[in-house]
Amino acid sequence: MRPPAGVSRRMLLRAAAAGATALAAGCSGGTRSVQVAVVWSSSELDRFREVVAGYPAPVQVISAGNDIDAFLRARHLAGTSPDVAILPRPGLVTEYAQRGWLSPVRPSTDYAVRVELSDLLMTESERYGVWVKAAHKSLVWHLPSVLPAPPTTWDELVHRIRQLAARARRDGGPVPLAIGAADGWVLTDWFENVLADVAPGSYYALAQQGADWQDKPVRDALDRLAGLWSIDGAFVGGGRRALLTQYEESVIQVVHTRRAVMLLGADFTADVVRPFRRGPEAPVTFRFPGTQPGGGPLIVGGDAAVAFADARGGVELVEWLARADSFQPWLREGGYLSPNTNVSITSYTDGVGQRLATEMRAPGTLRFDLSDQLRGAFTGSDGVGIWRIMQGFFADVTDGVRASEAIRRATGLLAAAARSAGGGR
Amino acid sequence: MSQVRVLGELAVLDDVGPARRGRAYPAAGATSALLLPAAVLLGGLVLWPVLRTMHASVTTDGRWVGAEHFRTALAAPGTGAVVGRTVLWALLVPAVVTALGYLLAAASRRSQEGGLVRLILLVPVALPLVVTGVTFRLMYDPDPSRGLATLVATRLAGRSVEDAPQFLGPGMVTVALMSAFVWAWVGLAVLVFRSALDAVPPSLADAVRAYGGKRRHVLWDAQWRPLLLRTTAVVFALVAVGTSRTFDLILVMTPGSVRDEASVLALRIWQTSGGTTTGDGAALGVVWLVAVIGGIMVAALFVRQAWPPPRVEAAPEPAPVAPPRRVFRLLAAGAAIAWLVPLAVLVATSAHGRVDAAARGWWSAPPNGESYRDLVTGTELWRTLGFTLLLATAVTATVLVVALLAAYPLAWLTGPAAQATGLLLLAASVVPIQVIAGPVNEVLGLVLSSGTAQGLALVHIALGVPFAVLVLRNAFADLPVEQVRDARLGGRRWWHTLRRLARHNLSAVVAVSVLEFVQVWNDLVVGRLFGGPGSSPLGPFLAEQTRSFVSNSGALAASSVLASVLPVVLVVLSRRHLVAGLVSGGVR
Repeated sequence: MRPPAGVSRRMLLRAAAAGATALAAGCSGGTRSVQVAVVWSSSELDRFREVVAGYPAPVQVISAGNDIDAFLRARHLAGTSPDVAILPRPGLVTEYAQRGWLSPVRPSTDYAVRVELSDLLMTESERYGVWVKAAHKSLVWHLPSVLPAPPTTWDELVHRIRQLAARARRDGGPVPLAIGAADGWVLTDWFENVLADVAPGSYYALAQQGADWQDKPVRDALDRLAGLWSIDGAFVGGGRRALLTQYEESVIQVVHTRRAVMLLGADFTADVVRPFRRGPEAPVTFRFPGTQPGGGPLIVGGDAAVAFADARGGVELVEWLARADSFQPWLREGGYLSPNTNVSITSYTDGVGQRLATEMRAPGTLRFDLSDQLRGAFTGSDGVGIWRIMQGFFADVTDGVRASEAIRRATGLLAAAARSAGGGR
Repeated sequence: MSQVRVLGELAVLDDVGPARRGRAYPAAGATSALLLPAAVLLGGLVLWPVLRTMHASVTTDGRWVGAEHFRTALAAPGTGAVVGRTVLWALLVPAVVTALGYLLAAASRRSQEGGLVRLILLVPVALPLVVTGVTFRLMYDPDPSRGLATLVATRLAGRSVEDAPQFLGPGMVTVALMSAFVWAWVGLAVLVFRSALDAVPPSLADAVRAYGGKRRHVLWDAQWRPLLLRTTAVVFALVAVGTSRTFDLILVMTPGSVRDEASVLALRIWQTSGGTTTGDGAALGVVWLVAVIGGIMVAALFVRQAWPPPRVEAAPEPAPVAPPRRVFRLLAAGAAIAWLVPLAVLVATSAHGRVDAAARGWWSAPPNGESYRDLVTGTELWRTLGFTLLLATAVTATVLVVALLAAYPLAWLTGPAAQATGLLLLAASVVPIQVIAGPVNEVLGLVLSSGTAQGLALVHIALGVPFAVLVLRNAFADLPVEQVRDARLGGRRWWHTLRRLARHNLSAVVAVSVLEFVQVWNDLVVGRLFGGPGSSPLGPFLAEQTRSFVSNSGALAASSVLASVLPVVLVVLSRRHLVAGLVSGGVR
């Protein structure tokens, strides 16, 4: 799970205002404008407005805030659903489709995304949504001066963390890792990266109903995580403190206070890095290491556009959003990765964007964020579902509980949660 | 939204006593039509949704399933702990607030600094609970280089920075939340106890002394038995009902990883059902509803006497009683200082920019106005403040009109009818909105105003009306007979009479207006459930920012300060009217 659309989205500092503008714009734009509900706020919302400004008909963008699911349920209940919504989780797309809330869409040949992604939006061989934005979630952020030679394999990473932890204990240098374990999605991102590496073949099966969460792949991935997380002194302030550290604070611990060397982040981590970086040195990233050098996992998140049944002009707008040239304004501004492989690499204006876009196209173990595909409450939010279970696991292994015992507890809870989410909520 | 609303029950409680509306007035013509707006609002947005929720708790997609949802919800892992914690909140916190409230009210009486002490204690009462949550999360920040309480506790315990106590950790989080709640509510208890103590006739104490009674006899026979026992029960009940609204605090103060350890029923229902009300969520909601309404009913029926008693006709001569002992006065002064600390932390944090506030403690960097500058030059805060002001004003005005119209005919009721109306209104005023959110949304959809400013206002109005009607009805019913006669003679039409009655009851009108305004201004839950794009009020605006707390703390503290100015000023300025208005008939 990603923070629903990056850091800036959560800073609703500007959301209310943007929403008000949206309403005003919508009202003045005539009654026939197409209504789009998005989770974005702040600068992302502004960018998206620039994007839909290119649409031939007037479009009213409304920011539904983080819990777009609750928003859309309430709107559906009240019979005032928007025409189009951009959802941060494919699990929602299939859920809504199965309830008959959505219209099928048929994007033009111009829309080409990797099959691992496009399959997620299919229900009963009908396509109910298109991907409009992607996020690269296998990046480890660090300062080059603090970590000159990044590890390239998992074993190297573990070894390096041991070294750094020992050095930190000895002479008080920075500890190896910052982790925002107070936000459950940070831990599920860790889990997904490791799972995609140890059991790429079983990864997607876990998203299916009736999946066995007590089977070997999950246990292997948790075992690997336990091996790293239980290293003494791996985290700033220890495990208990890490569980009270939010994701943004963990970024600050690496780029500003420099109490930690690395953190697992994503391309949207740059939104926090920017205001908090210190001095001339720019933080950089390396790919999350896998078993083989260069063959690490690639976890991708993304936002999908759907059209509601009975919407006016909804399907047309969704199909327009799927086109390669629709998102040009956002591409030019930066901070946007396209899931569409027809978007040329050269249209990314910065080197980092080009590199990440290239990585996302390279053949290999691209996997879509697993927790975002889970059904019902299992998908996780604060104190709920897989977020809560991973936090319990983290607390166990950093608190000295034996790995086998911690894994037994976690897989038991995961299996129970998967069972009760099977029937939907 | 909590404390003020509950204060209303004060007024209500004196209503279920022995019938005292001996002065029967003829009902004025067809005034029952005046009840229509209030009846429609309450019927459509409170009563019907409650019935729908009850229905949803025993059905799945319209099919009868009996107690299945209740069994599932109560058997879900952790529900036992959640219910236990909810009960702990409802017992422990009121006990602490009541005890502290009495002590501080007694200690701050009849001394020069007492007024100032009570004023300081009153400020947290007026703050939005979201702001209280922000303040205490700043205090309890797990990093000793940022959190004052953590730093002090680390030093006192002689621990290392690595081993600092974690107030927001799983072991202590409920204690931390409770401390914030007590901080916010003690001022209210002090206010109530003070008016109760003032109402004790000094002659009673003199009589006890005349018979050779000692200080403790005075306390027991002249204060506790005649009055304080009942007041204590009332305050305890009020705070207990108030704890059902700890939701705001939990949402703001707890990091995601400890939310389960802090969870109470309100939060569990939120997590189970979100904005809709179905199945297990509805079942938990019904349990909660029954507990809250049952609790307030028991309190109301138990405390069957007018409170505080009507004042004796002849004003008691200034009592020649000595101020409290020095140790008590010191206690009061100490409490005032302790109560100021969180406020100081909030203001100090707000005086730092984003990076400074996130990276180090407010005491280790020079203050600047960066956060305020960013806020004030941006448009978001102004827009939110403007919208909230508009919303709160419109809601208050509407509630006042609807409640005045309804209170007028209701005030003529006597006997069982009056008591039944009182109990019904009392029950309606404590219905937790989370329980009926789904059905309310359906109703709003019918009138095409879901997710809009009108819809939001409508929900606020419906929730505010029962309390306002109660207070105004009691005030009207308790008017001395001459005033009513004068009003009726002076005004030829019923609305002239109503206007005159309202004028004679200025305190009640002011109390209702201020409390309603502050309640809407401070609200989080209603805004969160029914606000939409373009209609996002202050509460949700602040709460959203807490999702990334540390990196946002400068701006968050600054907007909290700006958001608190208006409610604090209103409550402080109108504090005398508040008490007088709420106990209506007794004090005038």
